[in-house]
Amino acid sequence: MTLPKFDYAEPKSLRQASALLRQQRGKAMLIAGGTDLLQALKNRLKTPALLVDLKNIPRLDHISYSEKTGLQIGAMVSLRQLANSAVIKEKYPMLVEAALAVGTAQLQAMGTVGGNLCQDSLCQFRDRSPMARLMLEPCLKLGGHVCHAVSGSNKCWANYSGDLAPALLALHARVTIADSTEKKKIPLSKLYSDDGKRPTRLRAGQILTVIHVPPPAPHSGSAYLKLRLRKTIDYALLGVALYLSMEDGDAVCKDIALALTGVGKAPFLVKEAEQLKGKQVGDAEIAQVAEAAFKQAHPLSNIGGLTPAYRKEMVRVYVRKAFGVALESAGQDA
Amino acid sequence: MQKKIVFTVNGDRVELSVEPNLTLLDLLKGQLGLIGTREGCDSGACGACTVIMDGAPVLSCMTLAVRCHNRNITTIEGLAHDGKLHPLQQSAIDHDAVQCGFCTAGWLLSAKVLLDNNPTPTREQVRTAVAGNLCRCAGYQRIEESILAVAEGRAKVQE
Repeated sequence: MTLPKFDYAEPKSLRQASALLRQQRGKAMLIAGGTDLLQALKNRLKTPALLVDLKNIPRLDHISYSEKTGLQIGAMVSLRQLANSAVIKEKYPMLVEAALAVGTAQLQAMGTVGGNLCQDSLCQFRDRSPMARLMLEPCLKLGGHVCHAVSGSNKCWANYSGDLAPALLALHARVTIADSTEKKKIPLSKLYSDDGKRPTRLRAGQILTVIHVPPPAPHSGSAYLKLRLRKTIDYALLGVALYLSMEDGDAVCKDIALALTGVGKAPFLVKEAEQLKGKQVGDAEIAQVAEAAFKQAHPLSNIGGLTPAYRKEMVRVYVRKAFGVALESAGQDA
Repeated sequence: MQKKIVFTVNGDRVELSVEPNLTLLDLLKGQLGLIGTREGCDSGACGACTVIMDGAPVLSCMTLAVRCHNRNITTIEGLAHDGKLHPLQQSAIDHDAVQCGFCTAGWLLSAKVLLDNNPTPTREQVRTAVAGNLCRCAGYQRIEESILAVAEGRAKVQE
């Protein structure tokens, strides 16, 4: 399908990029890897007048690490670049697992870390060709007034399915948001809204530029587990990311974070996991956290593949499995 | 508004002006006569349009031509050299890894990137590397074997 017409700008600074986005408020969009965006353009789900390319902005494709400050990943680092980074492989294996769980080798080479975090949410009642959309009344995400996923709802329930977000949430990541006048660092969890229409809280002119991850603690372990029909290409029907660190020499949990994706309007942290801090991590404790995660997951039938009931049940299974993997990689017997 | 781009394709320098909404796929097929690249799903899911850009496999249907400035691109036409097939191409013939042929250009390039970076991949690594190249004839077994044969140095070299 041909692409609609648009203008194209490749600014050399964040300031210029942000100014372009603000001048054309609502009519300009950023392009990073472009894999999701071009699909939406071809289907006329998005019709920007201007694409603002981030590729010529210096340093956005850099990865750096220090023992003291941890990891910095530029928003334009590709998923392939992330997965091939020696320091990320060594210090943050969960990020490599999550990046390699995205799409295919081609999409990993094209897709960026920033684009993956800021990806749009999905709904099979909206994400279809213009012809197929004619069969349904325009939904909330298309500017209409109905929701086909939850009938009678006045909220959009499109599903967030990104793989990097849960891994980075569990690793306590923060992100730098820049606009034409200032830069601020916020916890990644604050990036996400709970609105299917617009999964991030970024306003016109704001650009996610850098992802910051604290250095991993000693005796730490992690796991990212993704549920899908095929081992490749498919989006997450559920993703579970767990990071934990243990006290030296015993089975007491020092730090823990659990995050889910694919089962709601945004990726989210399961706060109840934090109750395990200072405790021994046994089967009963794991079951409690799994139950809390289960309750907070709201899979719907708006993405295809597996039934919502099955996906919800698998939350318990995957959380337990993630504890097994993470405890083992932290040097503990699961 | 057209924009001038300069890039390299199969070793040749190309300089031309493109509209921002032209894809690399349409540029290769429609303007450069490189028709070996296939248009499959045109939505980033099938891998038929795979080309190599600066050493990485990319989907030409999901790449804006205007973003290819200063890039180095290899298409299937650039795989053979001086009339001599690339070992992966010869191995595909020897293993009957081509049925309808529509996915062939894509997976050959995906396999080339794999072997360039990892000359001795495992079977699982081969599968992962070409998992983004759908073969609707379902000839996956022979595709795998033909790639592994090159990796293991068992491919018959063309006389």
